[in-house]
Amino acid sequence: MTAIWRKELQAYFFTPVAYVFMGVFLLLASLFFYLLILAQRSSDLLTFLRYMSYLWMLLSPVLTMRLMAEERQKRTDQLLMTSPVSVTGIVLGKYLAALTVLLATVLLTLVYVAVVARYGAAYPGELLTGYLGFILQGCAFVAIDLLVSALVRSPIVAATAAFGVNFALWMMDLATLFAPEWLSGILRFVSLYSRNEPFLMGQLSWAGVFYDLSVIAAALLTAVWAQDRRRRA
Amino acid sequence: MIELRKVTKRYGRTEALKGVSLTAPDGCVLGLLGVNGAGKTTMLNLMTGYLPPTAGQVLVDGTDMLANPRFCKRRIGYLPEQPPLYDEMTVTAYLTFVSRLREVKAASIPGHVRDILGLCGLEEVADRPLGKLSKGYRQRAGIAQALCGDPSTLIFDEPTVGLDPRQVVEIRRLIRTLGQTHTVIFSSHLLAEVSQLCTRAAILHEGRLVWEDDLTAQRADGHIDLRVVIAGRESEVSRALRDAPGFRSLKALPAPAPGLAEYTLSLDEAPGEPLPQERLFRLLAARDLPLIRLEPEPTGLEDIFLRVTQREGGNA
Repeated sequence: MTAIWRKELQAYFFTPVAYVFMGVFLLLASLFFYLLILAQRSSDLLTFLRYMSYLWMLLSPVLTMRLMAEERQKRTDQLLMTSPVSVTGIVLGKYLAALTVLLATVLLTLVYVAVVARYGAAYPGELLTGYLGFILQGCAFVAIDLLVSALVRSPIVAATAAFGVNFALWMMDLATLFAPEWLSGILRFVSLYSRNEPFLMGQLSWAGVFYDLSVIAAALLTAVWAQDRRRRA
Repeated sequence: MIELRKVTKRYGRTEALKGVSLTAPDGCVLGLLGVNGAGKTTMLNLMTGYLPPTAGQVLVDGTDMLANPRFCKRRIGYLPEQPPLYDEMTVTAYLTFVSRLREVKAASIPGHVRDILGLCGLEEVADRPLGKLSKGYRQRAGIAQALCGDPSTLIFDEPTVGLDPRQVVEIRRLIRTLGQTHTVIFSSHLLAEVSQLCTRAAILHEGRLVWEDDLTAQRADGHIDLRVVIAGRESEVSRALRDAPGFRSLKALPAPAPGLAEYTLSLDEAPGEPLPQERLFRLLAARDLPLIRLEPEPTGLEDIFLRVTQREGGNA
């Protein structure tokens, strides 16, 4: 698993993938920071985090598109599958590599926090819970998009399909506003965005933590199952 | 040692392998022959654990691949038909990655990779990206990755396909060198290649193993296999054949017509003596057993291949 993690991490940084992901993320985050914090003379970092969380939906497919699909397309999966590493180890190694890039990006966003803390007011408690929800949501999107990558053969298809799935998840959240009561209740229950709301209000929601972790586990287990199933078919 | 026990593999409704049993003993170089679609790649994929069998067992050194895949996979290096290379990696970085993947201790990886680069003649391209190598070097890199982790068995799927004649000679030389220290199993549809390189050969046809034998014994042995049809009572004929000079073995075949008996017969060829056919003819004449037909059984791999694939109703 460590070998896969190292190899994927090298692949991220030897190709433009990590730089594109981090560059675009920070560019758009800076735009949000300017519009929401600097232009408004505000210290509301939780609203800033809310806007940044939409970037997972947009950019997570960049991190995951190659992970599984390219191995199948270039038939390098034969090397991995005939090595002593289990399918679970392969999927986890790849997932952790994507998370490493994601967490490095999150670490860089602390610059914005430092600016607000220096010139305004930052509240550590609400910031910690806000960041916890923000990171968990990112981890969940990466797991879902990795699953999409495990289901298809081409990285381009993986990216497009993953963006479609992410967009559908976001639309599901919007649909809660218009759907009948019974349906909007269900949608709100399963929506990654609704689940993140308490964190963005500075509340530590264990239900939210558990939900995000469940989504991650379910997506990764399904990715492992999909890999195994394909070999048995 | 790799052993397949009554292995069947189905892809949906298609049965790619049908109850195949085969053993590759330690130290052998086994060539797997068959026309396209015979099931060669499927068999190799099963041996390496890339695919699980639908029924039957794959055993590596006596351990079931499904029960303990890690144990089994550590003992096998595999080069698929298309070398599994990451184009953006250099040869050294790639072999380092595969060594880590195959659980080589971190401290010994640089030396291990250096040895493999030397063995496969890759030193001069060690720092070049795999995507910029010629097909011959890419194939060498594919073989090199199979050597990472020092597996006892190497499995190559059509290792010389698509190479130019010079590269084919080089890869064959490398396989011959590796065959001295490893068990090697490779598939090919080139009979001459298998004749040249292998100590054993097996022929697959339409998912079935139709022939398997030791090639070194065949080459070294001074004997001839004959197919005979003789008129007479079966007991009398078989007694006469067993009395033939240089008799080795006898196998009865279904009688072609009433009053006739058909056999395949193996006789020693003695230097300075008359041909075994002549000695047999004289013996049968002396016993008043008319010889209706006498022909040598094909023993060259090409003849065997044509015979067994046609006998099985193939279109080879």
